Amino acid sequence: MSLFQRAKKFDLGCFANIKTIRDHTKRKAFEAAEPERQALRYIIRNTTLPARTRAIAQLQLTQMHCYTRPTQIKNRCILGGKGKGILRDFKMSRYNFRLQALEGNLPGVKKASW
Amino acid sequence: MSVPRARMLELVKAQCQLFSTTFNPEGVRTGNKILRQRLKGPALAAYYPRKIITIRDFQKEFAPLDLMIDDEVEDDRLEHIAALKARGKGAPKKKNSAPDFKKK
Amino acid sequence: MRMPRALELLYLKPLRREAEFGVPSCDLQMRSYSVRNLEFFCDFALRAAYYLGLPAFGPVPLPRITERWTVPKSTFIYKKSQENFERVTMRRLIQIRDGHPETVQVWLAFLQKHAYYGIGMKANVWEFSGLEVGKAMDENVKEVSELLEDKWAHLGHKRSLEGIENVDEFLVSERVKVSGGR
Repeated sequence: MSLFQRAKKFDLGCFANIKTIRDHTKRKAFEAAEPERQALRYIIRNTTLPARTRAIAQLQLTQMHCYTRPTQIKNRCILGGKGKGILRDFKMSRYNFRLQALEGNLPGVKKASW
Repeated sequence: MSVPRARMLELVKAQCQLFSTTFNPEGVRTGNKILRQRLKGPALAAYYPRKIITIRDFQKEFAPLDLMIDDEVEDDRLEHIAALKARGKGAPKKKNSAPDFKKK
Repeated sequence: MRMPRALELLYLKPLRREAEFGVPSCDLQMRSYSVRNLEFFCDFALRAAYYLGLPAFGPVPLPRITERWTVPKSTFIYKKSQENFERVTMRRLIQIRDGHPETVQVWLAFLQKHAYYGIGMKANVWEFSGLEVGKAMDENVKEVSELLEDKWAHLGHKRSLEGIENVDEFLVSERVKVSGGR
């Protein structure tokens, strides 16, 4: 069972399935643990510190919960929860982006021809 | 013409004192680049839009003032369920005891 | 019949003040996806600057930013039929010269109050001060340090260790705290 419980109150305003909720939880976990991670990373990279301290820091960093890792975070579509083919500018998967763009919901986005 | 290394080092040291930068002639790795990095947590956590307010919140807010607010989606759902019930097609009632598997 | 002057001016090009020294004090960049709105708001900004007595230059059209995206219309196997989308951002630059910093702030606040839809604004403001800035800053430090005095109490650890023998214990407890009790 994971250490990180989801937020008691559901706080997503977009499309939600378990994957987006989980990703959201990971983002919040990372935000909370980031200063600690950076401190440990600093100790590890600092060659002027004793080797023992650095080794301990390495162990502590690896033993932190996996949800606090930034590599666990994945951009997902806010309209369909898809995990692949996301346009970062719009946080949408390619197909949802196309639908929205054709409908004219995205300011300034037009069909291009040149 | 060449300037001795010691003199150059002195110059660099003076420069570092003046502009209060770190004097590190050997290029020892001190991990300062980690400290210089910005925290990206807030930006990452703001990816998904948050739920700000719901119709139910409105209803709760305005209930003391005797103001009614219609939640059309909820009303439709209840109406649909009532129609199903009337036709005898509603969801079954929840059983209080655990289901008996042996009985056939 | 002739229209009142103030009304007639609306049909003419915006008036401008003369800059005496030509020292830039504010660069305002406006961005939008539609030229019409942008042109209209630039005009508005220039007129506002005139009535505030600010010498304004521009609007200078800056290079457009074109972003393009190509997406497959359908599922993977129909990769051959794709669709292109683009978003063109138009930009205009208005520069204020010889403006008093306060007047510039008033101008910017006025523009923000009457912000037009679909237009983003971004301003770089320069201020100039007399010589010997360092001394003024040194005097400021005294005031600020007084204000900061009681904030320092929140930094660092508060209780003393009471002897060298407790250092080890303290370090271990800190380590536990940092690693989240593991």
